[in-house]
Amino acid sequence: MTARLLPLALLAAALWLWAALHLLPLAQWPAWPLDPARMDIPQILLGFGLMPRGIVALLAGAVLGLSGAILQVVLRNPVADPTTLGISAGAQLALVTATIMAPSLLEGGRWPVAMAGAGMAAGLVLLIGARRAFAPVTMVIAGMLAGMTAGAAATAMTLAQGEYLLSLVIWNGGSLVQQDWSGVRALAAVLAFGMVAAALLARPLRVLSLGIQGAQGLGVNVATVRLLAVGVAVILAAAVSAELGLIAFVGLAAPALARTLGAVSIPRLLTLSPLIGALILSVCDGLVLLTADRVGEMFPTGALTGLIGGPLLIWLLPRLRGSTPPGTERAEGPAPRRDHPAPLLIGLAVALVVTALVLVWIGRVPGGWAVLDAESFAAFLPMRLPRLIAACSAGAALAIAGAILQRLTANPLASPEVLGVSGGAAMGYAGVVYLAAAPTAVALTAGSMAGGAVALVLVAAFVSRRDMPAERVLLAGIAVSALASGVLSAAMAVGDTRSFQILAWLSGSSSAVTMPGALALAAVAATLWAGALTARRWLAVLPLGAGVAGGLGLPLRLARMALIALAGVATGAATVLVGPLSFVGLMAPHMARRLGLARPGDHVTGAALIGAGLMLAADFGARMAGFPYELPLGLFASLIGAPWLIWLMMRPQR
Amino acid sequence: MNLFSITDLTVDVPGRRLLHGLTLDLPPGQMIALIGHNGSGKSTLLKVLARQIPASGSVAFENRALSDWRARDYARRLAFLPQHPPAAEGMTVRELVALGRYPWHGALGRFGPDDHATVARAMEECGVSLFAGRLVDTLSGGERQRAWLAMTVAQQAGTLLLDEPISALDIAHQVEVLALVRRMCHEAGRSAVIVLHEVNMAARFCDHVVALKGGWLALQGGPADLMQPAVLERIYGLPMQVLTRPDGSPVAIPA
Repeated sequence: MTARLLPLALLAAALWLWAALHLLPLAQWPAWPLDPARMDIPQILLGFGLMPRGIVALLAGAVLGLSGAILQVVLRNPVADPTTLGISAGAQLALVTATIMAPSLLEGGRWPVAMAGAGMAAGLVLLIGARRAFAPVTMVIAGMLAGMTAGAAATAMTLAQGEYLLSLVIWNGGSLVQQDWSGVRALAAVLAFGMVAAALLARPLRVLSLGIQGAQGLGVNVATVRLLAVGVAVILAAAVSAELGLIAFVGLAAPALARTLGAVSIPRLLTLSPLIGALILSVCDGLVLLTADRVGEMFPTGALTGLIGGPLLIWLLPRLRGSTPPGTERAEGPAPRRDHPAPLLIGLAVALVVTALVLVWIGRVPGGWAVLDAESFAAFLPMRLPRLIAACSAGAALAIAGAILQRLTANPLASPEVLGVSGGAAMGYAGVVYLAAAPTAVALTAGSMAGGAVALVLVAAFVSRRDMPAERVLLAGIAVSALASGVLSAAMAVGDTRSFQILAWLSGSSSAVTMPGALALAAVAATLWAGALTARRWLAVLPLGAGVAGGLGLPLRLARMALIALAGVATGAATVLVGPLSFVGLMAPHMARRLGLARPGDHVTGAALIGAGLMLAADFGARMAGFPYELPLGLFASLIGAPWLIWLMMRPQR
Repeated sequence: MNLFSITDLTVDVPGRRLLHGLTLDLPPGQMIALIGHNGSGKSTLLKVLARQIPASGSVAFENRALSDWRARDYARRLAFLPQHPPAAEGMTVRELVALGRYPWHGALGRFGPDDHATVARAMEECGVSLFAGRLVDTLSGGERQRAWLAMTVAQQAGTLLLDEPISALDIAHQVEVLALVRRMCHEAGRSAVIVLHEVNMAARFCDHVVALKGGWLALQGGPADLMQPAVLERIYGLPMQVLTRPDGSPVAIPA
């Protein structure tokens, strides 16, 4: 089967050689050992730039391939890899934090910091997974949410520090540019460590593939083996993160390709995956070199691998075994149920209106707080009202979309963020920013709407297959999100003002909202609410699964398509205002359910009210926290949402 | 008129054929057991009848091809209960039973007095009226199964398809649920097709038995035809002994 890899290897070698020979004819190549004192500039560029770069691509690819293979084997999850489990994003957040908060930490090199971040992210995701028997879908959703949260926090810090951190964004993309041979030495040592560890773990891992009980019965200490294996995988991934930055999806692609080449047994998979990973990354880097020669190095190699990741996930999804034990994808024990929800709903509505009024009335002035008198109230109202309406509507729309998705998929972790619509909208926005010479607000809105719609069509096409479990919708959405983040990091890596504009939009802001825009958003939210109430009988039956729904004569495909479209349109509209990430769509339906709103109509209505309130609070906080400067609304909301999310996932099950 | 007329029914999954050109007719107004070893295709057959999975060949329900039925019309005539009914989180028994009215009022139609009366009758018939306000996930296994049965009763369908309705219950609840289904058939003129593992339960409660083996039809007939050592050995691939109880009814045990 390795013979089938030969074309790939030849392609990688040819691409590198082409770049090298283009730099310097073979006759002038420096002699070994390299001595900078006796070399001219092109020779140094080759000997200390391109040569180590070619080898680093091989080494990093191998390390990532091995890391992904170990994770997939130990978690028995064919879509596990350092990216989907949030490990790489954790390393990135740690590095950004260290750069801003404690630069002295970086004196000892990036490695310890990246390791700590990656370890914490992996620990969090595994802790969440352990409470749900490592159910594959939940693991990936938890990993992606942890990754998104880390990304949001990193973005917040980047924004707060202005352009000087933008160089970090380039690091995020995973550039393979080398200046000496230190990277080669470091990654070679890591790869050697990884190979030895994998060889030692191969047999226990094979026993573990029988499942927990089976492995325990054969005398394997499951917890220790898991911990060791995941630890090795985390070290491998974090090493690449520290050395090169975020190189997404090589760890996903390599084992997947190894499997299609027929590597069924675990030792085979562990040997073949690094080989394939090395070749994949080399080919990607060769392609980057090829374009760099024409137009200058436009984007880092990691962005290119990110582009591969999305389609790859979509291709892998139907192969994912769907047989998670029933109940393991559920988040927590039974929520209370209120028999008479009307007083609660009325109370929520009244509280929302009162809060809105109060927030219009009071504000921060230099040196303290002020309550507006009647005259200034009249003056401030036209300024404050649109953004209040817009924030409430966006919150309500996201919350309803979240409630619909959670009921549709019967998965409490479903939320608009993972539907892929936001990612699509971000791609559309970025496209307009880069393609139009002077983009207008209308063009930008239209662009993000179009992007969201395309993502929605992709996901819907996936859902329309009847035998597809609804929870896979989430994975399709995650695939689209992954694709979007690949495109975005490529766009950001250019590092000019346009990148900063996209970054600012990604974090969301309500400051530029006009009254017509706010009213339009309110109309969308109201339509969505009406639509959800109309479909409340579907929303009652769908959580019971396809068997019951089909037995009752529910038009399954139509219902799924209609509800996904409803949620997608609402998410797209709200995303234009608050950016792609806020977690309101995840939090509000949960809070409504924990408050005892069980019937679909009450649930949706309560979620909408809570979502509006949350976004109102986030808007107030965003305006006040950094007074006189405004923090981005979506970012502030996600900083509230992330701890909630983590708390929610850590709750014991039953 | 036959309840189901099945002709040359074949179901394939990638790499395997689950049902091999099955041809049989199921009689109406009876309690019909579908039995067979694990992987014999009995659940597959039931899911085809419930229109849950596609198949080649022709199946007619009440002399109309399955594909000619509109989804809601079909649900009005036939109720299906999957093998593991989900947890119905946060739902009361009354709300669960009321879902059975969906084929009649649809997504938007009014839930009228008739619907309320039907739900109340269904709960009465299945003996869950006392739990009407309780949450489904707080009930015991037998109570929960009766609540789900009440949902199918509220569907007012003449035919019930039940996929291993007793597999998760203890022996007392097994008898209780099967006796209820038998009553629903014989007193209210319904038909039922039930996938059963337990051959003695099938013989004791059902009027008609269809046995599958490896995706082929192995037997169709009454309980008396089934309870023969040679027949049972052919179905299960295991020597079986049939004893006679004091009241004359047969009991099968592995020989």
